[in-house]
Amino acid sequence: MKKYILSIAISAFSIFTYAQNTTTIINNATIHIGNGETIEKGVLVFEKGKIIHVGKELSALYKNAKVIDASGKHVYPGIIACNSIMGLNEIDAVRATRDYSETGDLNPNIRSLIAYNTDSKILPTASFNGILYAQAVPQGGTISGTSCLVKTQAWNWEDAAVIKEDGIHLHWPSLLTSSSNHENAEKQLLKSKEKINEIESFFLSAYQYSQTSNPAFNARLHAMKGLFKGQLNLYIHTSEAKGIISSVNFFQQKFPAIKLVLVEAAEAYQVIDFLKTKNIPIILSSLHNLPVTKASDIDQPYKTPAQLNAAGIKVVLSKEGSWECRNLPFIAGTAAAYGLSKEEALKTITLNAAEVLGASQRLGSLEVGKDASLLIADGDLLDMRTNVLIAAFIEGEPVELNNEQQQLATKFKKKYGIN
Amino acid sequence: MKHLLSLIVLLFSQSCFFSIHGQTGFPQNGPEDLRPQYLALVHANIQIDPKTLVQDATIIIKNGKIEAVGKNLNVPKDAQEINLNGKFIYPSFIDAFSNYGIRTPKENKTKAADQYRNSQTGAYAWNDALHPNQRAVTHFDYDEKKSEEYLAAGFGLTLSAVQDGIFRGSAALVLTGKGEPHANILNPDAAATMSFNKGSSSQDYPGSAMGAVALIRQTYYDADFYSQQKTKSELNLSFENFSNQKLLPTIFETENKYATLRAAKIAKEFGLTYWFKTNGDDYQRINEIKACKSPLILPLNFPKPYEVEDVFEADKISLSDLKHWELAPSNPAQVNKAGIPFALTYQGHQNAEEFLKNLRKAVQFGLSQEAALQALTLLPATLLNATQLTGKLEKGLLANFFISDKNIFEKDAIILDHFIKGKRNEIHAWVKPELAGSYQFQLKGFENSLLIISKKKGLEASLLSKDTLKLSFSEKAATFNLSFTLPNNKDQIYRATCWIGEVNTNNHATQIKGRVQFPNGTIENLTATLMSAEVSSQKSDSSKAINWGAILYPFSEYGSEVLPKQEFYCFKNAQVWTNEKEGIIEADVLVKEGKITAIGKDLNINGAILIDAKGKHLTSGIIDEHSHIAIYRGVNECTQNNTAEVRIEDVINADDINIYRQLSGGVIACQQLHGSCNPIGGQSSIIKLRWGKSPEEMKIEGVDGFIKFALGENVKQSNWGIETSRYPQTRMGVEQVYYDAFIRAKAYEQKIKKEPALTRKDLELEALVEILNKKRFISCHSYVQSEINMLMHVGDSMGFKVNTFTHILEGYKVADKMKLHGASASTFADWWAYKYEVIDAIPQNASILNKMGITTAVNSDDAEMGRRLNQEAAKMVKYGGIKEEEAWKMVTLNPAIMLHLDKQTGSIKVGKDADLVLWSDNPLSIYAKAEMTLVDGICYYSLEKDKALRNDILLERQRIIQKMILAKQNGEKVEKKVSADDPDYHCDTVETY
Repeated sequence: MKKYILSIAISAFSIFTYAQNTTTIINNATIHIGNGETIEKGVLVFEKGKIIHVGKELSALYKNAKVIDASGKHVYPGIIACNSIMGLNEIDAVRATRDYSETGDLNPNIRSLIAYNTDSKILPTASFNGILYAQAVPQGGTISGTSCLVKTQAWNWEDAAVIKEDGIHLHWPSLLTSSSNHENAEKQLLKSKEKINEIESFFLSAYQYSQTSNPAFNARLHAMKGLFKGQLNLYIHTSEAKGIISSVNFFQQKFPAIKLVLVEAAEAYQVIDFLKTKNIPIILSSLHNLPVTKASDIDQPYKTPAQLNAAGIKVVLSKEGSWECRNLPFIAGTAAAYGLSKEEALKTITLNAAEVLGASQRLGSLEVGKDASLLIADGDLLDMRTNVLIAAFIEGEPVELNNEQQQLATKFKKKYGIN
Repeated sequence: MKHLLSLIVLLFSQSCFFSIHGQTGFPQNGPEDLRPQYLALVHANIQIDPKTLVQDATIIIKNGKIEAVGKNLNVPKDAQEINLNGKFIYPSFIDAFSNYGIRTPKENKTKAADQYRNSQTGAYAWNDALHPNQRAVTHFDYDEKKSEEYLAAGFGLTLSAVQDGIFRGSAALVLTGKGEPHANILNPDAAATMSFNKGSSSQDYPGSAMGAVALIRQTYYDADFYSQQKTKSELNLSFENFSNQKLLPTIFETENKYATLRAAKIAKEFGLTYWFKTNGDDYQRINEIKACKSPLILPLNFPKPYEVEDVFEADKISLSDLKHWELAPSNPAQVNKAGIPFALTYQGHQNAEEFLKNLRKAVQFGLSQEAALQALTLLPATLLNATQLTGKLEKGLLANFFISDKNIFEKDAIILDHFIKGKRNEIHAWVKPELAGSYQFQLKGFENSLLIISKKKGLEASLLSKDTLKLSFSEKAATFNLSFTLPNNKDQIYRATCWIGEVNTNNHATQIKGRVQFPNGTIENLTATLMSAEVSSQKSDSSKAINWGAILYPFSEYGSEVLPKQEFYCFKNAQVWTNEKEGIIEADVLVKEGKITAIGKDLNINGAILIDAKGKHLTSGIIDEHSHIAIYRGVNECTQNNTAEVRIEDVINADDINIYRQLSGGVIACQQLHGSCNPIGGQSSIIKLRWGKSPEEMKIEGVDGFIKFALGENVKQSNWGIETSRYPQTRMGVEQVYYDAFIRAKAYEQKIKKEPALTRKDLELEALVEILNKKRFISCHSYVQSEINMLMHVGDSMGFKVNTFTHILEGYKVADKMKLHGASASTFADWWAYKYEVIDAIPQNASILNKMGITTAVNSDDAEMGRRLNQEAAKMVKYGGIKEEEAWKMVTLNPAIMLHLDKQTGSIKVGKDADLVLWSDNPLSIYAKAEMTLVDGICYYSLEKDKALRNDILLERQRIIQKMILAKQNGEKVEKKVSADDPDYHCDTVETY
């Protein structure tokens, strides 16, 4: 229980009293940079929300600095949860709390940022496990909307926004049939092909629109502009091997300027050779899924990240959903148990994610000049056995770790007189 | 095809020898036309019974019956003699599973609202899937199209049933020949028929496979009770004739091997014998099927090869589907080899040719011709008590037989005529002169040409003159057409209509004549004279030995040909998590004959398989208190608010791949729970994950019975998205369901004790009586504190305890009350926010309950998470700050205690079952892998074995895929296949049944 006492003590600095200007020194910790490197018994200094020093030893004297002795503890960059609906969804079964799927099929102009609910009760449970940032992703339809990168602790969505619009999400039509009936299978495939034609015509219009100097305003086409200038990512959601081949070829041949990111990609391991040369990062869907077929290796989802990584493909790990996201560190832990090194696994939920989202100048690793968004953990962050946070900071400000779940537990433990 | 020139054909078609005698009452329009029927077929090879083929024999038939059959018979002088020239005669086949002549009611699955009552009018049984009173004979009529099909396939008799519903009523033994039904019905009530399929009934119940079992059992009790009542309290037309029907042979249609075993269990319970019309996968569990001691009716509609060229799509075809394609044709042979009596059915075929082809395929795959004939004639005749009428060819029996041009098992043999009650039905023209050969072609302008007719798939023709011309060949009645163009003038078409001018004694055409119209309109005659006949080189390839892959147990990916056995193991120097007061110790553990026999150092390990466990962790295996894996067709019987009569143990799917996947996560046992659709759900089944064994063998012997209760949003159907009418719709109503059920159960118990003969046995109430008598225990799905509290109050006042609250996410709010009540808790580690009732769910729940002294477990309710329960237990350390040992007990010893299994498993203690897992690391760590999982001392999973199995799967898939592609190249029709995944059930999964 000691760890909790410590955590409460640090939280007691409180968001309000903790002066941004104070220099904070974290001493004697194992520092996991996030880029694959570690520093044993290292020291990290941050000030005004930015990291100003990381190393074996201090390089300067800091007056009036707060010093946190983190002997035996571990310091990590804050985790980034990609492909999440945290803040857009509160209770799965209650329609009124679902704000992630708009009606209609082509919705690039839908912006997740303005629906992002910083008061969601789910967010504090995620930061409790080290998730300090999330990509809030709209779902549904063929083009589901524009996602954003946000903090998991903030006053409002403006305050939360790190990147207001990071990319547009496209769901590639399935090219595998689920029907054993020949005729239906053919129909299904035909429908998918029609859908791809529709996508093509929409992208062509959007491209034309982006090239026209004074077009009649069209919200949907307007929202696509950033794609052609390389300002927005195009996130292609597909889990099928064929979907990967077909979508990547489609865009690389027809719209080579668009920056692609594959999302879900459960079968990516089947087309590693194809992907190797494409230089497209992959945000994998949860590894905690059953294998795709009965014949698949029973640990296939677990080892996919290592297989992709070995081929030089940039891998980001994710855990879809909202409340489920808090298990993201353990998704990375699973990848570490099945072939990735622990530091590589950490990278898949920190630096790689930041790079894909276009936020690596600020986030993703503990390097000088980056935001002081970091975690102090009791042990290995990726193992549920030891993932216990002592403190967390976003841009140098402490994150409240005493969430409502903690408070409920405390309340009833007090009632029963147990600890 | 049917009427190529032939004198014999003319002879036959001109005269109908036979007519139906003895029909009365039908008005006659014109002079009566009764003709004598006396006929001798001579020089035939006659299969008088499955064993005996008499060559050059005679059969004499008179007025629909066989007068004599045998060698050297004198043909009576008033009988008409027909020379069969060595053709073959077989007794008509009998199809014991058919709906010939019967219109099967259409399924009616569209309905507006819940339907609790039947829609049938009249005083019939409460459920529309029950029509034991139905008589197929009242629906039977001659069906011209189907008659032709059956006769051409060799079937002269069918057992025709209304194939609809669960109790389907009686079936009639009928003849498939032409005529009024009156004369074609041999036995109006020859057998009773059943299935698990509710058919056209639109009623909700049964909504699952287990519901169908319960309905059948309850119906037997109800019908018995009805017939025993001297004065009936109410009329039930469905049961009026039930006791008579029970005396008939009963044919039960099953959809797979486990359904067969399931039905056999019912038969055993009620002292009945069914014969099973199976799905043809019997070979996958042949020993268990044999133990049913029931005759089988086997289909021959073997799967076609699948489209497998696309490497991505082929991946979606399961190994079991691939293997079944290869092995299905061997099923009859394997059933025969196992000594199980069986018949063969036409069901599943669309045409006769295909059936005969498949029949020959079964023979190619090792079924003897004799056994095949037995299965098509004598066995069904015997089972249907019809041997005094039919089934072989002997004096006095009905003249039911067919004539084929050669041995019916020979490739391309066709049935020429089929005699039903002596009445001839022409199937194919008797003798079609052979055309293949080369002919001297005489036609103006094409002198000195050669016409070649060759046999490929059909007949093909070409003309060798200056150039080689390909002719388009099409057969018509009595004539055939040839047309062609010249190479330099493709739009000038020559048309010829030809016929056979002369045939020789070998029945080969020697002269072809024809009338030709040239493109310019000129008419010419052609003559083609045979130069040399093509020698048919097509021989049956039945001699070729057929190889097929091994039968796997289970018949699935990761199944094995030979099941692993108990071994003598010594785990050396392991970190042993005893779950006993010794705690975690470094020790050796001995396993012998399925038990833990010693723990300690310096043990006698002579003869043991040594496993170096230095640095590794040995624990007792994980037990999942809340699981829905390995359940067949429906985890919920949702249709009523109380379905205590349904039992998961009836629907164990021993082939579910998730069994194996969970073994890889160190799981050794689980409670297979009914879903949470209704306040009183079905009875649980508690199994060990004995991968490869049969459903019955999975069950843990002698365990206490359990049952699922449920509270909250699911039973209120809050999240169904549609208006529902089922009671209850509020938590208030849930309480009333319980009071009502237990008050009725108590009254029932008293009544059945007092006047057993006057009490209808009620399976639903019996399960509740068991709860009251502490013979059955409750696992109750629960979330919020109010409902938890409520059920404990109901229990306290009605005299039962809630054994386990499962999910119990707000248990921490009423932990003191639960402790007082004596309930256990089995919860999720960290699930929440998926519905309104779980907004106060906290990951500290389990630790608070545990600290309050409540036996607490962490469960999965999820096939995927089920294989990571060690990690879920670890979260209790993280969130709840409890000791690692205590956390570990939450997935091992504690669930064992709440399932009353702790005397035999759940800890590492001498004498307990060797249900052990060897971990590569601390089992609570995310980096830990189960290296070896033992159940009863049998290693069902190990990293090493798994590696070998992966390779086997790869090779076996490739072997069969290669074979399929070859089959396609050889002209076999292929079909598209997407294998069904094993279902991923949760508490709230509802499917239609």
